[in-house]
Amino acid sequence: MAVSQISVFLENKPGHLLHILNIFETSGINVRGFSTADTGDYGIARFVVDKPALALEMLRAQSCAAKESEVLCIRLPDRLGELARVIRIFAAAGINVIYSYTLVSNIIAIHTNNHAATEASLKEHSIELVSQDEISAGA
Amino acid sequence: MPHRNCFDPAVETAPREHIRRLQLEKLQKQAVWTYERIPWYRERFRKLGVKPEDIRTLEDVRRLPFTDKQALRDNYPFGLCAVPLDEVLRLHSSSGTTGKPIVIGYSRHDLDVWSDCVARLVVMAGVTRSDRAQMAFGYGMFTGGLGLHYGCEKLGCMIVPAGSGNTERHLMMIEDYQTTVLISTPSYALHMCEIGEKLGFDWANSSLKIGLFGGEPCTPCMKREIESRMRIVCTDNYGLTEVNGPGVAGECLSSRDHQHIAEDHFLWEVLDPATDEPCPEGTEGELVLTLLDKEAFPLLRYRTHDLTRVTTEPCACGRTHARMSKVRARTDDMLIIRGTNIFPRQVEDVLSGIHGVASHYRIILDNESGMDRMTVMVELQPEAFSDSFESMNHFQRHIVDRLRQSLMITPVVRLVEPGSIERTLGKSKRVDDRRVKE
Ligand SMILES: [Zn+2]
Repeated sequence: MAVSQISVFLENKPGHLLHILNIFETSGINVRGFSTADTGDYGIARFVVDKPALALEMLRAQSCAAKESEVLCIRLPDRLGELARVIRIFAAAGINVIYSYTLVSNIIAIHTNNHAATEASLKEHSIELVSQDEISAGA
Repeated sequence: MPHRNCFDPAVETAPREHIRRLQLEKLQKQAVWTYERIPWYRERFRKLGVKPEDIRTLEDVRRLPFTDKQALRDNYPFGLCAVPLDEVLRLHSSSGTTGKPIVIGYSRHDLDVWSDCVARLVVMAGVTRSDRAQMAFGYGMFTGGLGLHYGCEKLGCMIVPAGSGNTERHLMMIEDYQTTVLISTPSYALHMCEIGEKLGFDWANSSLKIGLFGGEPCTPCMKREIESRMRIVCTDNYGLTEVNGPGVAGECLSSRDHQHIAEDHFLWEVLDPATDEPCPEGTEGELVLTLLDKEAFPLLRYRTHDLTRVTTEPCACGRTHARMSKVRARTDDMLIIRGTNIFPRQVEDVLSGIHGVASHYRIILDNESGMDRMTVMVELQPEAFSDSFESMNHFQRHIVDRLRQSLMITPVVRLVEPGSIERTLGKSKRVDDRRVKE
């Protein structure tokens, strides 16, 4: 049920993120969620897009340092306490969230230390996971 | 025909004693020529208490005065010219980073000797008269362009004088004219690889076979990279504007890292830069060259500041001319950082042994904090990127450790995006020294 995520190595300089977004735009790739994090010198930009395979191909063609990895995408009702509920489940199951970010609408992407265990815990609590197809179709 | 692979077999495979006899004859003539025709040299001879007739053996070259770049600057433009300017057919110059350039003139004889020297190194690299050479050097004042041009022409190659820049047009010319030899700087060749790969150029099946590189140092790791990406044999040669330009030495296919010196035109010495005493054969020292066949700008004992070793051991190719090791350092490109001597090539050697970084790098030196700091900018290659800061930091620390082991100082390593370090068309500017000197 995991969703493809595209990560890109970026120097922390003006215009570098834009360069990536221009590549997406000209290739007709729609960004459905993203986050950036940096160390001061360099950073990693992470994207959930509708066409991950194409995105990776276009980035590689432009010699970008890009990599595909997996995240789990959870749909949360926009209600008080929903985020806390999910995080509480992870804490109870001993799952470590390495990073997370929100996508368009009420979806969050998470990358944990154990995706199989995370999926199982979420299922147990009837929390909805969003599939790659839904992301690509514009869930 | 035993030495069919030479441009001038009789000269290039002459017995050593024959070469030495010829060198002495020419040295004696050249000493007279400079003494009689150039006041600056006459004054130098006088100060050393030496006369041209004191040159009785080749070893006596050590009695002659040195020439350095400063002498060319002081006598700019024509103070060291030994012929009437009417007899100077061409000028070349090297771009000075500060002030006036160095300018050198050539008589008809000088141009003839020069194109012979270049034709020799071109043949050493495996080029034949059936080859088609594509020129990607700029023409202009730089010696590389016209030097290689006339050398190839003398051999009888077809030349495509495209000049520098416009990479897409170069790729088109390779395809349309089926050129077999590329003449370029190694960094421009790498740039061509990159553009070609992006445009889907088929290097594996292209007509190119041989690269003749120059204009900047071609490191072993650049050479390997270009050879594997362009699928050609990359060769390198040695020369400097002050002594004609390319054509001093070239690599034969039997001796890839040692280059045959055109000993009938250049007398070499290898000196300990600290004492100016000759180094024993085979040990590293500064290359000092005396032109043996130059009319217009006949330099004696020119200090190249290039560090090399020379051997007179026989070469498998059959040529008898001495071979100099590839110049990988200059007496003046040594960096002194916190009291430690460092050559940029050490950084290069370390990086070429680390998987996941490119061969391009930059060194920035500063002393903002009061202490010298060395920052090495290293291009991350896509395959070494991981989505985790932890493993990226680990990779960065690994590079720092490897550099520290070799350099004996701890540099700062900055990972930068692939392709982001400028591939200059001319000399690669690898070191940026921003230190404020008191
Ligand atoms: Zn040889």
